[in-house]
Amino acid sequence: MTSITRVRALLFAACPRDTYQRGVASMMPFALAISVWGLVTGVAMVNAGMTIPGALIVTLFVFAGSAQLAVLPLLAVGAPLPIVWITALLVNLRFVIFAAASRRYFVRLPWQQRLVAGYLNGDLGFALFTREFADDTDVGTPDQYGYFYGGATVNWVAWQLSSYLGIVLGGLAPTSWGLDLAAALALVAVLIPMANKLPAVAGMVVTGVLAVLTVGMPMKLGLLVSIVAGGAVAVVADVARDRRAALEASEMAAR
Amino acid sequence: MNGFHDLRYMAIATVGLTLVTFATRSSFFMLPPSVQLPKSWERALRYAPVCALTAIVAPTVFTRDHEPYISWDNHQMWALFAAAAVFARWRSMTAMIVVGMAVFTALRLLA
Repeated sequence: MTSITRVRALLFAACPRDTYQRGVASMMPFALAISVWGLVTGVAMVNAGMTIPGALIVTLFVFAGSAQLAVLPLLAVGAPLPIVWITALLVNLRFVIFAAASRRYFVRLPWQQRLVAGYLNGDLGFALFTREFADDTDVGTPDQYGYFYGGATVNWVAWQLSSYLGIVLGGLAPTSWGLDLAAALALVAVLIPMANKLPAVAGMVVTGVLAVLTVGMPMKLGLLVSIVAGGAVAVVADVARDRRAALEASEMAAR
Repeated sequence: MNGFHDLRYMAIATVGLTLVTFATRSSFFMLPPSVQLPKSWERALRYAPVCALTAIVAPTVFTRDHEPYISWDNHQMWALFAAAAVFARWRSMTAMIVVGMAVFTALRLLA
């Protein structure tokens, strides 16, 4: 075995070629949207003041668009690193739910392959994969791995290439064009589908108002204060909603 | 200070951010199968990203020079409203960014 095949066998589960191609085909329609998102992220990083080598390294390793955009204004002012990391962690917490929800398909793989599969399990890949295999009673089949890696490959390649293009172009655009706004708008596109329930909207309103009012706090601490307060409101609202639903259900049963 | 030109700061930040990606995406893939996600945690995990993203976007659009900036002259605000309306209607991120930036640029140049 050549060393490349050996590394590939170590990090990726074996899968049939035709299912891999099916995964590729399923992600292809989203390649344009992924590329727009990558382009905006690349431009935003350089436009905010990141050096070109720095932006390329961040793109290659961090591989989490919304977290990359979220920490940009913090890195720009040299905010304390724990605040930077906690912010990225909070933005990424949705992936913990994804991991818990799709773990059963990957649980039999060796740990190196699980680590890599998790790293590749972004928003779109997770959505397509769980939709495709939600009813499968067999878990951990080669078909599933092929579909997963196929989609992940398209996602990774489209994301990386478009980000690099954005990084190169970003240096050419003057800051007066307000391209940091494009980054904020891209985050809003992630945000709106999440705001589908009243508790989420309540949390957003509280967080947004507090984040604006506390913007002058030192070390960007206002950010964490507003997230914690807004998150608490959302959780309390959600618990209250569940209680009310349970109460109504028991009243219906009593009737 | 501008963090982007501090090589040490950026290097440590990037290593940490990479670990955060692994820690969240691979979290339950690495934990033993007996460890389940408690129901009560699920709520907090679901709402934290919504709030974190809001906490980033809101000051970008509604503040200027570390002061709240809610005014008819806030071009970013109108761009955000237009973009959000486009996204709510067509669910297209591309259309949303194009319209939002077009509104912002038009206001910047004309108003």
